[in-house]
This record gives sequence, C-alpha cells and structure tokens, in this order.
Amino acid sequence: MTRQVRASAGNRPALAVALVLTLAAGGFAAWEGRSWYAAAHDDSAAYAAQRDRALAAGEQAVQNLNTLDHRRVDQGLDLWETSTTGELHKQLVDGRQEFTSQVKAAKTVTTARVLSGAVTELDDRAGRARLLVALRVTVTAPDSKSTEKDSRMLGELTRTDGQWKLSGLGQAPVGGTAAG
Amino acid sequence: MTRLPRTARREDTGADEAPEAGAGAATEPSEGPAKAGTDGGAAAATDQDTTRASGTDEHGTADEDGATDEDGTTDEDGTTDEDEAMDEDGTADESRRRRPAGAWRKAAPVAAATVLLLGGAGFHHAAHQLRSAPSARNHALTDTGATTRVSGDVAEGLARVFSYTPADTDAAERSSRTVLAGRAARQYGDLLAQVRTNLVEQRITLSTQAVRTGVIELDGDSARLLVFLDQTSRRDRAAATTAAAQLTVTAEYRGDRWLIVDIKAR
Repeated sequence: MTRQVRASAGNRPALAVALVLTLAAGGFAAWEGRSWYAAAHDDSAAYAAQRDRALAAGEQAVQNLNTLDHRRVDQGLDLWETSTTGELHKQLVDGRQEFTSQVKAAKTVTTARVLSGAVTELDDRAGRARLLVALRVTVTAPDSKSTEKDSRMLGELTRTDGQWKLSGLGQAPVGGTAAG
Repeated sequence: MTRLPRTARREDTGADEAPEAGAGAATEPSEGPAKAGTDGGAAAATDQDTTRASGTDEHGTADEDGATDEDGTTDEDGTTDEDEAMDEDGTADESRRRRPAGAWRKAAPVAAATVLLLGGAGFHHAAHQLRSAPSARNHALTDTGATTRVSGDVAEGLARVFSYTPADTDAAERSSRTVLAGRAARQYGDLLAQVRTNLVEQRITLSTQAVRTGVIELDGDSARLLVFLDQTSRRDRAAATTAAAQLTVTAEYRGDRWLIVDIKAR
C-alpha cells in the first residue's frame, strides 16, 4: 500500500514531464509544418522561379539566334525556330530561304557568348517578360579572320506550353530617349 | 503452468487493488482503469490472464488521455513480480507476453515525441531548403520597391559621375563621393586623375545616360545590375558622338541609398 503510493507519487512528475515534452514536440512539429506550408505556397517564390526560368531560356535563345555556321545552316535555323514563338518565329520562317542563301554565299561562322543578362519585366500570369542581354558576337569570315563585336539586346519573351521563348529581339537603340 | 497464473494473479490483484484504494481520494477518471482491473479479477482463473492482458493493452491505448498514474504503477510492480515469478518457476511465457505491452506503454510518449520532433525537423529542413533556394533568395523583381529603388539610384549615380564639363570636373568628383564607394571609388579616382588634363585641354564634355537598367540579383543590402549606357561626348565645338556601353554594377545599400561599389565594363 505504502509502496504503491510512493511509487505513484514518484511517477507523477515523470509522466507530467513526458506529457509536456510530447506536447512541446507536437507544437514544434505543427509550427514547422505551418512554416513549411507557407514556404511551399509562397507566391513570390513561385514568381522568382519563373523569373529565373525566363532569364535562362531568354539568354539561351538570344545566344542561339546569334549563332550560325554556314556549313550547318539548316541545323542552326531549326534551332532558331525552336527558340522563338509569335511574330519573331513567323519572321524567321518566312525569311528562311533567303537567309539560308545569304549565309551560304557569305560563308561566315557566327558564334555568340552571353556576357550578362537581366529580366526587367515579368508578368507571370500573362506569361510575358522582357530582358536585357549584353552579348559578344564573334564572326569568322572565310579567310579565317574573326571580328568581335559587343552588342546589347532587348528581348521579349512569351511563355508557350510552359516554355519561355523569344517573341521579339532587337538591338537596344543608341542615342535614343531614355526608357526602362 | 498451473502455478504460474495463480501466482501472477495473486500478485496482480494485489497490485491492482492498491491503486484503486489510492485513487479513491483522487480524481474520477482514474477509477475507470482500476475498476476494469477489479472486474477482470472476478473472471475465471484461466480466462483471467487473457482478459487482463487485453485489459492492459486497452489501458496502454488510454494512457494518452492522462489517466496514466495507476497504470504506470501497476506496470512497474507487475514487471517486478513477474520477474520473481519467472525466477521461481523458470517459466517465462506470461511475463514475455506482458512485458512488451508494458514497455510499449512507457515508450509510447517517447516514441510519439521522437516522431513529432523528427517530423518538425523534417519540415524545418524542407522549409529552409525552399527559402534558401537561389531563386527565392534573389529578390530582383519580387521585391518591386527595392528593385525600383536600386535601379533608380544606380542609374542616377552613373549619370552623375560620368557627366562632366571641362570647367567643372570637380562637381563630378564631388558627386562621386556620394554615389561611389569601395573599389568603384578608387577606380573612378584613378580614371579622373588620368583624363583630367586632357579634359581641360581638349575641352571635352561628356554626358552619360543610363538607358536600360536590369537587376540581375538583389539579396538584402547587396545587388548586381546590368546597365546599358549612352555616352555622348563632344570635343570643343565638334559634333557630338554617342557611344554605347554595357556595365555590370555591384551596389550596396548603405545609410539611405544604394552606393556603387564595383563597375565592370561588358
């Protein structure tokens, strides 16, 4: 009898501690679960991911469209077409034959390297973005002389079927009015 | 075999009765398990062990409700008694069947706490992974206020330090102190020292405009930008010529504005 009471009294704090610890562990798990849920459903994180995807796709597409080898024109132009959409894509398809003969006649090899790029606008819902790209283009003539030229380009991206593609590309004008 | 259940029963009943008496003065919920134990004691000798065994399991499940006092006590004593019984009789069937249940009852809160802690740690890790992902850490465009601010400060700063007239190179140098810092400030000082004589002798006027600014990366007080510049220079009264320049600029937020700390021509 006395033994029981003593044992019972001795156990009570231990069980209370166990209970409190379990509750605390439960609270911790709930808090961290909520925190994880918030992070996983963070709109700005999803937006940031879209921004980075748009930038990566845009830089690659700009590089593709400034790269062409006269010995493999068809391959190169196929890549141009898969990198683009919309109006730009249409222009490339329409002018393909003429362009092919021009490049074959000039016998040039053009390669491009992206120096830096940045997204300046992103409409995540509409699937539209704009980017700046600083580019170094190397043109090698038939006599193996090569010239380097830095260019700065403005690209417009459109998302089609979940993929960002160039829908517009042009040189940033020099000496115009300031914008952006 | 016939002896063991009897011994166990005698010991167990003794163990069971005590908490009931002890709990008489205690709270109501504690009566439940104790009574169940007594009811079990009224059953037939052979059946009782099974009844009690299952009864114990039920208590084990009910432990979480907080009615744990008596069960815990019973359990400890029961284990001790069975140990003795096993030593005496050398038969351990009964104790083997009951001990895991008792151990489980004690281990349950520990196991639950461990599972919860591991789960919490898992969520913490996953959330950290998500938040520290490179794309999430970069606040370019996602933090529109800071993006606009850094673009404006950098564009304005570049325009000020790279615009000067022969009569007023000091003004450019003065403004450089408010918009440049670190490596960019040293580079600019060297540059200006080199060209100053030429500027004055050849009467060169330079006017710079940032025509496009894009934030590559923005993380807290540090940012990297791509800037397209138009630089119009005029030598004395000759016609102005405009040249394009592409820069990547590193900026740091200090005090109340973004300072340019590094400039690289692209």
